[in-house]
Amino acid sequence: MALFSVSKTAFLLAFLSLRTYQSEVLSEPLPWAPESLKVSVNTTSQCLHLQWTVHNLAHHQEFRMVFQIEISRIKTSNVIWVENYTTTVKWNQVLHWSWESKLPLECAKHFIRMRSAVDAAKTPGPRVWSSWSSWEEADVQNSLGQDPLFVFPKDKLVEEGSNVTICYVSKSHQNNISCYLEGVRMQGEQLDPNVSVFNLNHVAFIRETGTNIYCKPGQGDGIKGTVLFVSKVLQEPKDFSCETQDLMTLNCTWDPGSDTGLLKQLSQSYTLFESFSGKKILCKHKSWCLWQVAPESQDMYNFTLTAENYLRKRSVHLLFHLTHRVHPMAPFNVLFKNVNATSATMTWKVHAIGKYYTLLCQVELYGEGKVTQHNVSVKVDGVHLFSGLEPDTEYLAQVRCANGNHFWKWSEWTHQNFTTVEAAPSEAPDVWRNVKIVQGRCVVTLFWKPLSKLQAHGKILFYNIVIEYLDRTSGSEVLSIPAPASGTELPLNQCSSQIRITASNSVGTSPASVLVVSREPGNEEVEEERVKGTEDGFPLSWNPQPRHVTGYLVEWCEQPRDPPCDLQWKNLGPNVTSTVVSSDAFRPGVRYNFRIYGISTERVPCLLARKTGYSQELAPSDNPQVVMTNLTSHSFTLSWKNYSTESQPSFIQGYHVYLKSKAGRCHSGSEKAVLSDDAVCCKYKIDNPEQKTFVVENLQPESFYEFLVTPYTSVGEGPHDAFAKVTTPDEYSPTLIRILLPTVFCILLIMITCYLKSQWMKEKCYPDIPDPYKSSVLSLIKSKENPHLTIMNIKDCVPDSIEVLNKQEGTRKSFTETESTKPTYLYLLPTEKRYSSPGPCICFENFTYNQAASDSASCGHVPAPPKAPPSQLGLLTSPENLLKALEKNYMNSLGEIPAGETSLNYVSQLASPMSGDMSNLPKNPPEPALCSEYKMQMAIPLGLASPPSSGSSSLSSITLLDEGERYH
Amino acid sequence: THLRAWDSWGLLACLCTVLWHLPAVPALNRTGDPGPGPSIQKTYDLTRYLEHQLRSLAGTYLNYLGPPFNEPDFNPPRLGAETLPRATVNLDVWRSLNDKLRLTQNYEAYSHLLCYLRGLNRQAATAELRRSLAHFCTSLQGLLGSIAGVMAALGYPLPQPLPGTEPTGAPGPAHSDFLRKMDDFWLLKELQTWLWRSAKDFNRLKKKMQPPAAAVTLHLEAHGF
Repeated sequence: MALFSVSKTAFLLAFLSLRTYQSEVLSEPLPWAPESLKVSVNTTSQCLHLQWTVHNLAHHQEFRMVFQIEISRIKTSNVIWVENYTTTVKWNQVLHWSWESKLPLECAKHFIRMRSAVDAAKTPGPRVWSSWSSWEEADVQNSLGQDPLFVFPKDKLVEEGSNVTICYVSKSHQNNISCYLEGVRMQGEQLDPNVSVFNLNHVAFIRETGTNIYCKPGQGDGIKGTVLFVSKVLQEPKDFSCETQDLMTLNCTWDPGSDTGLLKQLSQSYTLFESFSGKKILCKHKSWCLWQVAPESQDMYNFTLTAENYLRKRSVHLLFHLTHRVHPMAPFNVLFKNVNATSATMTWKVHAIGKYYTLLCQVELYGEGKVTQHNVSVKVDGVHLFSGLEPDTEYLAQVRCANGNHFWKWSEWTHQNFTTVEAAPSEAPDVWRNVKIVQGRCVVTLFWKPLSKLQAHGKILFYNIVIEYLDRTSGSEVLSIPAPASGTELPLNQCSSQIRITASNSVGTSPASVLVVSREPGNEEVEEERVKGTEDGFPLSWNPQPRHVTGYLVEWCEQPRDPPCDLQWKNLGPNVTSTVVSSDAFRPGVRYNFRIYGISTERVPCLLARKTGYSQELAPSDNPQVVMTNLTSHSFTLSWKNYSTESQPSFIQGYHVYLKSKAGRCHSGSEKAVLSDDAVCCKYKIDNPEQKTFVVENLQPESFYEFLVTPYTSVGEGPHDAFAKVTTPDEYSPTLIRILLPTVFCILLIMITCYLKSQWMKEKCYPDIPDPYKSSVLSLIKSKENPHLTIMNIKDCVPDSIEVLNKQEGTRKSFTETESTKPTYLYLLPTEKRYSSPGPCICFENFTYNQAASDSASCGHVPAPPKAPPSQLGLLTSPENLLKALEKNYMNSLGEIPAGETSLNYVSQLASPMSGDMSNLPKNPPEPALCSEYKMQMAIPLGLASPPSSGSSSLSSITLLDEGERYH
Repeated sequence: THLRAWDSWGLLACLCTVLWHLPAVPALNRTGDPGPGPSIQKTYDLTRYLEHQLRSLAGTYLNYLGPPFNEPDFNPPRLGAETLPRATVNLDVWRSLNDKLRLTQNYEAYSHLLCYLRGLNRQAATAELRRSLAHFCTSLQGLLGSIAGVMAALGYPLPQPLPGTEPTGAPGPAHSDFLRKMDDFWLLKELQTWLWRSAKDFNRLKKKMQPPAAAVTLHLEAHGF
């Protein structure tokens, strides 16, 4: 100790002298200064390793010293890290210290120096440092190689969420190097002209094969990259638990959480360590591990489960007593013995878990919608008796077990089904009847309801019916009706009888239902009462019977409109005097009839009350079919006898008769009513629903009326849609009919007579025109004048000709000198000039008969141009001459036409021009000399010929002369 | 570059049908020695089928490697993959190859590629990928056997592997995981190119060896990945 004090004093003196004469003594090394500082670089772990010794340490000296370490980057002045490293230093000891760089060490040069001081924490005053060691350089860049580009760090493994620094080192002095993270360009900062740095914060796991980072220069195809392996963070195992099924093996399970496996790193491993035994096993599976229990040796276990990967380690602990973690296996061999109608015995086996352990088993029974539960204590074999079961019912039984001493967990359930056997039906069938008298015989229709499953105790096979006649002489009858019938019809020999009905299954027969039938129909005069249905049903009540009754029964039809009416009944106790009958089959607007019977002790039913009502009344949807009779001028009678008040959707309270008239006046007994369409009418009210006739009076004769009969109920009237129409007759019309009818008859008689005698009338009034062929005149002409003369044939006739006749008095001339039979045409010449060639003529030709003519502008009706005689032509050069010629020709041919008339005659092509006037024929009948031709659509210049007009103008007189007629 | 699974199975079924019916083709069913024609045809068909199978596999595997390896226009320099047999050859040189040399080159190339591919399979992390790779390796083994069959039919000896040159799983010294991924990329790319080249090789051989009767070929589209 004295030596130490001396040394210390000397050190202090030396230090003071250092401070005083710093400039002079700087180069002089102090005792215990660090020396032989060596720096090495581990690029895999990106660590700088320092090793040094302490100078001048005596052989047995041991000091606690502080070493201050400075790290600079790129240049010595850029200090990035200062750390005081305190340790105990012995003689000749080599000291080590490591520092992990965030920046990859390949990216920049690093410089390290250190100084030392004796750790004088217990002594006050400033610490006296040794001099700094010289800077040691750590430079990996020189050893990189000749490649133009490098990316660092190489294949680094980090946890998710870490911050990572990436850099590239370019040796080709290219500035336009771009770097990408998973194909996305990164923005970095330049550390020096050849080095750029990229900081990645909170890196995320992308894939097992790592995150690709690569750089490429702007020119050339060199690409350099690195893979950053980002591992998921190792999680603490969750839900760590151990249990045993047989006290031989412990099964430990846990939730491993996310897998941290990568291409570069295996998935996390799990080890299980037990501290009492000191045993440790490496688990083969990620989420469970088996631990062999040494028999009878250890009860308490303290487990440590450790998850570990390259970067991290996590542990969980579990302390437990082995017998408290027993999870038995599911029971097996579940069987049922002695299964009868109401009980069964279940047996099962359990896997043994040691000699001294008792299992607690839970037995559950499901059946008929109920669950029962029982606990049973079991060593090896379990037994349980189920009682109070229903016959013919399927049950499901299941059992599970747990450690009876220290409950930990139930085992899995083991299920088994069983069915109880059948038993005789327990209840008598619910039976009702309907009695009819058919041809003097009683016919009973029996109805029964099927027994419920709980009553039937098995499948009902048939129903037995025993009829016992009460007068003892007729004996009894036995019938068997196979199920599933629900009724039967029985003709009885005698009405007075007792009927017993039982149901049978394969095991036995039910108690009997007894009905007594008697000839008396019962109290049928019971008055029907109305009952109002509600949403819950029909509330029915009746007076209690003074006589002793065994019960009451209500019957009704659920389908009263369609037979069979689906008879329903309801049995009630003897003390009940009211009930509510409800059914899903009840519909609004349907009338239901209920009959209430009292059942006597002799099983004879007696009708007590009749009720009728609607579950909901609806307004009538139809009006009565009304027949109108006795129509007079002042009244008519309406009748709707066929209208049934029973089958309506509500109780009919009466009728309204509506009468519409133009007058709009209402007489006494009616009132004015306004209909929904604003029509005003008179309303007659009939209060009695059974009154189905009505006389409408005080009507006006010959008036139009509309009427409607509609029922009214508590919920409204029938529809107001179809008014019938009627018109009252006239007061005098019967008298008029008495006169008119005979008159009409007489006229008809005359007309019929005229029709029948029409031939006679015709002959007398308008005889037929004679036929020229048959005329006697024809034979006369032939013999006298011309043997070649014939009556013009229809075929030869020039079609439709128009002839204008101008007759003048005193110019008659005989036509006897006619020589030629050829027709002559007269041509109109509009100028004074003489024409030798055929000129235009006015003609009307029907092309139907002469097509060729239409092609010729010169009225080519005649193939050869007509050569008019000079004299004739000369005459025709002026209108006056023309007129004369016309007159002359006309007179030549028709000398007998009354003078002073100018007319346009139409000459039919089918008949001779003369045929119409046989009496005017000259002595020498002319050939069809004058044929006025009608040419349709013939273009005639207006300047040449004016259209013919009826009237006195001579220009309009166009006469077509017979060519053969020579004008002399 | 993704080929759906049913597509691959459809092609396989088609190929099986074709192979099944090959004996029924009259030109191939001559009495006596049928010559190397059928086995050349079979080998040709197998190369086309493998081309399709590889396209699907490469798509999956490159996605597994991640970008930039699965980018369509990624075309890095062939640096670390020098030991891979190179399929690219000058056209005149390729034309001037004799049958024996042509077949020998094919055989040697697939022997090497198959070894590398098995190495790839060992590294794969996902079970599905391992299954696909194993399936492809089996098919490639079949192709190798088929080429050996053709060579035997033509009377050429199989090339003996030189001692020490047998690749040991991975092509070349992979310095980093990034370079290893690059090698994987080049392995798949070179394999694709070899399959294209083999299809042409066997088509050429087929035309040379056979009359034009046995024209049962599969016309399959080939695209790069």
